[in-house]
Amino acid sequence: MANLSVNLCGVSLKNPVIAASGTFGFGREFNELYDIGTIGGVSTKGMTLQPRLGNPVPRIAESRGVILNAVGLQNPGVEHFIAEDLAWLKSTGTCVIANVAGQTLEDYQAICARLDGLVDMIELNISCPNVKSGGMAFGIKPETVEAVTVQAKKGLKKTPLIVKLSPNVENIAVNARAAENGGADCVSLVNTFTGMAIDIEKRRPIIANNTGGVSGAGIKPIAVRMVYEVANAVKIPVIGMGGITCAEDAIEFLMAGATAVQVGTANFTDPYAMPKIISGLNAWCDSHGVASVAELVGTLQMNGK
Amino acid sequence: MKDYQATVVKNEEIARGICEITFRLQETAKVRPGQFGAISVGGVHLLRRPIAVCKAEGNEVTFCYQIKGDGTKKLKNVGAGSVLNVLMPLGNGFFVEENEKKVALVGGGVGIFPLVSVVRAYANEKEISSFIGFRNAGAVCALEEFEKSAKFVAVTDDGSFGEKMNSVQAFEKALAEGYRPDVILSCGPTPMLRALKAVAVRENIPCYVSLEERMGCGIGACLVCVCNLTNGARARVCKDGPVFNANEVNL
Ligand SMILES: Cc1cc2nc3c(=O)[nH]c(=O)nc-3n(C[C@H](O)[C@H](O)[C@H](O)COP(=O)(O)OP(=O)(O)OC[C@H]3O[C@@H](n4cnc5c(N)ncnc54)[C@H](O)[C@@H]3O)c2cc1C
Ligand SMILES: Cc1cc2nc3c(=O)[nH]c(=O)nc-3n(C[C@H](O)[C@H](O)[C@H](O)COP(=O)(O)O)c2cc1C
Ligand code: FES
Repeated sequence: MANLSVNLCGVSLKNPVIAASGTFGFGREFNELYDIGTIGGVSTKGMTLQPRLGNPVPRIAESRGVILNAVGLQNPGVEHFIAEDLAWLKSTGTCVIANVAGQTLEDYQAICARLDGLVDMIELNISCPNVKSGGMAFGIKPETVEAVTVQAKKGLKKTPLIVKLSPNVENIAVNARAAENGGADCVSLVNTFTGMAIDIEKRRPIIANNTGGVSGAGIKPIAVRMVYEVANAVKIPVIGMGGITCAEDAIEFLMAGATAVQVGTANFTDPYAMPKIISGLNAWCDSHGVASVAELVGTLQMNGK
Repeated sequence: MKDYQATVVKNEEIARGICEITFRLQETAKVRPGQFGAISVGGVHLLRRPIAVCKAEGNEVTFCYQIKGDGTKKLKNVGAGSVLNVLMPLGNGFFVEENEKKVALVGGGVGIFPLVSVVRAYANEKEISSFIGFRNAGAVCALEEFEKSAKFVAVTDDGSFGEKMNSVQAFEKALAEGYRPDVILSCGPTPMLRALKAVAVRENIPCYVSLEERMGCGIGACLVCVCNLTNGARARVCKDGPVFNANEVNL
């Protein structure tokens, strides 16, 4: 048995495998399949101050090796989460990460203030490509990444802040540094890549929103490269994600410099993906004489160096 | 709900473009009529295909699917002995109340398949009348299942089998002849369900419809598969449905 626990800016996780926001709800449905207390953490569905109905359907499409989604941040609102789901989710013993979004800088501060001290970590979604105003705007330019981080931190006294980076940018390492300068305790990446899939019979995009966020196995090499660049640009810990399907995929991200990983789309392909990744990590560490998974973080040796 | 490692027993074409696949599970799955399974076709297909359970007998479960896109094309080529992951049973399914004795089933296209499971579950205790529509004679299948109902009418859009009409028209024709069910259970294309809902509202007969929507997780976690409720809220087709009271959904 390898030691799988990791420490993310003072928060200790049983193992480095976290459910990615939007693919796992608030954990209740997957808990019908397995005890979600066994996974490192759960990043909740992206929440806003007020409930949101989200986009029209279809909200999802498939393309070889990837999927596209445009849910549009449908969520019951942060108060509903606090009243109905929070206590239960904490009782499972998993690390509770509240994923939050807003339309304005003030929204970000207010929702962070509301959740401060109630959850283990807060993950700022500044990169959701589906919401017309807000979302996208903050995550694109380094200046707004820094500004929204500063503002969110104003609402926080206790809970560490993760800033989730969009990959649809000029230089993701620059944006990661902007988040760090703004006071982020951690960064996570990648959110989805903006894409389109077309129904050629109808000559229309499949998704009602026209464009959607691309995720799943096919984006992994791009995500690994970005995690490597970001991990080398900041001192704060990095959470890596994008197309992770198995333990070996997770290990690539750890070696590239991520302290923990998130798993999203793979939960759709195989609802037991996360427990399998966790046991696979343990087996890999054991068979490679690695006593603690934390030893793998950032151990990548670049060719020619 | 379980993710079964399901062994294919047989997989064959039963009508033009329609296949029937039977799996053997490790145990007897408790399935309500109208529930569905999420079948993994593997490879580059990251999403599972939601397909209604047609029959569940002992350790065997049968689905009927239309070959539509890449995933169902791939499914067609899966041979006996192969093992696929099938997450099931999913969704709420059809419920028939104790006092609802006369049950009308109205189905069109692949929407007839979830209704097969209703016939199988209730044929002995209820008076079932089935109104089933196909595109044409080539698509006709599953008649032997619907023949177990007390009354059974099959029609086609082009009149190449049975009368030339759709299943809602066949149902309306029976109403005009004095038939009156206690409840209507239905599945089919949205325009068909919309027409049926109008009839049910006019006649004041309770009506339940099974909806289709593209899915991500299939278990209620991702909010990908929603439909609009008449009260302004949105519901998950995979978990709150696929069966809804027709009066409570916007079609
Ligand atoms: C609850 C439920 C029960 C169903 N029962 C049956 C059944 O018994 N028999 C049958 O033939 N079909 C049924 N369908 C429709 C069936 O799911 C689609 O025809 C099938 O997923 C198409 O897959 P594909 O790979 O051929 O198409 P592709 O176009 O390659 O599929 C791409 C993606 O879109 C999804 N998709 C495409 N069309 C539909 C659709 N109409 N509904 C939902 N998802 C879709 C696919 O699942 C896949 O994720 C049901 C759908 C739902 C929601
Ligand atoms: C259906 C769906 C909904 C998502 N919703 C959110 C969200 O609300 N907030 C967020 O920060 N990311 C959201 N994401 C992005 C994922 O958390 C993750 O960053 C992305 O999918 C890449 O990881 P993957 O390839 O493992 O899925 C969503 C992804 C999917 C597929
Ligand atoms: S498919 Fe995920 S909620 Fe229905």
